[in-house]
Amino acid sequence: MKEVAKNKEVEDILGMANDLKWDLGMGIHDKIVSSLYADAAQIARKTVSIDGERPAFSFERKVDKVVTSRLFGFPIMFVLLALVFWITISGANYPSGLLASLLLDTLHPLLKSAADGIMPWWLSGVLVDGAYLAMAWVIAVMLPPMAIFFPLFTLLEDLGYLPRVAFNMDSLFRKAGAHGKQALTMSMGFGCNAAGVIAARVIDSPRERLIAIITNNFSLCNGRWPTQILIATIFIGGMVSPFWAGIVSTGAVVGVAVLGIVFSLIVSWGLSRTVLKGEASTFSLELPPYRPPRIFQTLYTSLIDRTLFVLWRAIVFAIPAGIVIWLVSNITIEGISLAEHFIDWSNPFAMIFGLNGVILLAYIIAIPANEIVIPTILMLTVLVTGMTGVGEGSGVMFELDSITGTEQILRAGGWTLLTGINLMLFSLLHNPCSTTIYTIYKETKSVKWTMVATVLPIVLGFMVCFFTAQLWYLFT
Amino acid sequence: MENPLIALLFGLLVVAILTWVFWPKKGLLARFGKARMSSQRVLLEDTLKYLFDCEYKGITCSLNSAAGNLNISADQMAKLMAHLRDMGLVIFEGSNIYLTDTGKSYALRIVRVHRIWERFLADETGVGQMDWHGEADIQEHQVSMEEADKLAARMGNPAFDPHGDPIPSKEGQIPPFSGVTLNNLKEGEVAQIVHIEDEPHYIFEQLSAQGLYPGMQVYLLDVQEGKVTFAADGNECVLTPLFASAITVQPLPKAKPIQEGYQRLSELKLDETATIVGISSYCRGLQRRRLMDFGIVPGNTIAAEIQSASGDPVGYRILGTTIAIRKEQANLIFVNNIKKEHHEQSA
Repeated sequence: MKEVAKNKEVEDILGMANDLKWDLGMGIHDKIVSSLYADAAQIARKTVSIDGERPAFSFERKVDKVVTSRLFGFPIMFVLLALVFWITISGANYPSGLLASLLLDTLHPLLKSAADGIMPWWLSGVLVDGAYLAMAWVIAVMLPPMAIFFPLFTLLEDLGYLPRVAFNMDSLFRKAGAHGKQALTMSMGFGCNAAGVIAARVIDSPRERLIAIITNNFSLCNGRWPTQILIATIFIGGMVSPFWAGIVSTGAVVGVAVLGIVFSLIVSWGLSRTVLKGEASTFSLELPPYRPPRIFQTLYTSLIDRTLFVLWRAIVFAIPAGIVIWLVSNITIEGISLAEHFIDWSNPFAMIFGLNGVILLAYIIAIPANEIVIPTILMLTVLVTGMTGVGEGSGVMFELDSITGTEQILRAGGWTLLTGINLMLFSLLHNPCSTTIYTIYKETKSVKWTMVATVLPIVLGFMVCFFTAQLWYLFT
Repeated sequence: MENPLIALLFGLLVVAILTWVFWPKKGLLARFGKARMSSQRVLLEDTLKYLFDCEYKGITCSLNSAAGNLNISADQMAKLMAHLRDMGLVIFEGSNIYLTDTGKSYALRIVRVHRIWERFLADETGVGQMDWHGEADIQEHQVSMEEADKLAARMGNPAFDPHGDPIPSKEGQIPPFSGVTLNNLKEGEVAQIVHIEDEPHYIFEQLSAQGLYPGMQVYLLDVQEGKVTFAADGNECVLTPLFASAITVQPLPKAKPIQEGYQRLSELKLDETATIVGISSYCRGLQRRRLMDFGIVPGNTIAAEIQSASGDPVGYRILGTTIAIRKEQANLIFVNNIKKEHHEQSA
């Protein structure tokens, strides 16, 4: 009885609340916010004193006028970004070589002989040739460029310049249904897609953030640049006279990167008008004042938060992949390894797309890091062609110092100019690496969007490769 | 697959089929979804909703007007009505049709789901305002009462839908209708548009083309024979009484015509300052909250400071920080008191 009375009371109160809400009308939230600001302003007037105008303010305005001017805005941006990439690529060469010679050339044989002494050949194969080598490869190729790129990027951000880039680029991205800050996550993606996906946190609008996350993979990441450069040098540069080779192959790589940007804009446009149409969207962009960068703090945070974080995830995924790579090349059924079985089976299918079974298998097992795609392809090609004298045995990834040596292996594997072009296209348009996929899941907390981000590029990649290949077959 | 030409054609065919299936709104999937909608139950519920709407506004409704509203033939409507009577939801009195108590509470439940869903679309998604009603018309038949209650609770049990119509409470209570049509408003009165009749279609189209939408504030300037002149959110509009009668307004006796003589923020030139008057009710949900968080509330000073290299967006200085706002949003922010000289405000 008491319970009933209590419920009645609750209902009465709720009913009264509803009546009052109806009486107050729609704009109540606005009124509350306005009065909060009015109160805050009154308190501030009483307590805060400002002596004159800050001198920095007018200086800041002058800088802003230049970096956002119609004439200089975009050139300044391109020069600065090109400078960052140039410093990254040229600066990473030496430490990468050093790490490679230490981890791959010196430490690997040592570990291998030590392991061979105390464990059966298959265990040392799995652990040293598989797990260790994949991990070492990822560290050697990934660490130096990231350790240079991220601090530089963070410095620009800290300085206050990057928000101006987003500000200038916004109208382009607005037309694609995206946020101007996507220009930043895209640039970050050129360093590492996983970091680009994390960087999408700066976009506060839910829909535009999802767009930025899903399309980040179209930025050619650090792990894919070497593949592009190598293949362009061999197959596209090789078509023309040596004098033009450098320019033509560079042009081809830049072309692929630009194609990636075009795809990212087109896909953004499509997503914002179809599947993401209903997601909430807002736009606002804070333009913070310019600040002298805090160099040490920047170095520390970009190394810890970005570089080591991403590297750690990559290593975690590389180790099992290394094991798988070794196993598929060494487990044999009827005398033929699993890898060869798969390659033979998938070759006809791959030919439709102008690729080959080796490439497909390499992209499947090298999913943790794009860096190990080329070493895996080389190892697998040697395995299926039965070449002798190159490589270090089945399941052991390797890379050659000479480009001609690499070319010989690939040509022996039946590669043509078409294979080269399609590999470049497929390298741009395929699923993100597992580190990025995991990061996308972490960031979106949604299996659905992770699937979209994973499957969409690969479908696009197969489509583009298919049409390229069939047109090629038609005209040759 | 040996012949590349055939393969190419095959590839194009696959792409075409995929496009056809997934194309938004007109694709196969979308059509399939729509086809599922016109079932018997949906028609019954829509009829109840229409009857409730008539009773709420004190209009008598006939078989023909109901048939016209649902866009079906009078014969079909007669069958539907007979079915509703058999279910004990409506009663006939002569040519007039009334809801029974059961029918009314059924209708209120649908109205509640519809309005909650509209509110949800407006506040928490990016669905455009033209699509709110259509989406909610679909969802009202699919979302259960419990789901709608949960959604309402999550949004803090809103009392109004985005068009300004009250949302019936869980117990089926709704405040009495108190609006008048625009042609009955007197000179100098301020009111808010609460509803725009969507039948007949040509009137609705015309009113939409004039940029009139529910939530706008109207300030009646002049009523003459055959002509109603008013300011809608500050813009002067002239309508014939017939068109004006399609607009229902809720008089706001205490409100000032605040947006009279306003300009849009997007009209502010570089180095000009202005006082903010308000944000259009066209701008809702997350976006509105975000703008208000930045300090875009009535009374604050705002200055246009820098323009992006491509012209849009523009950086505005407000409360000591610079915020870039796109033109489409700056269009929805009202300012007045524009001054040329630039000075840092101190609040």
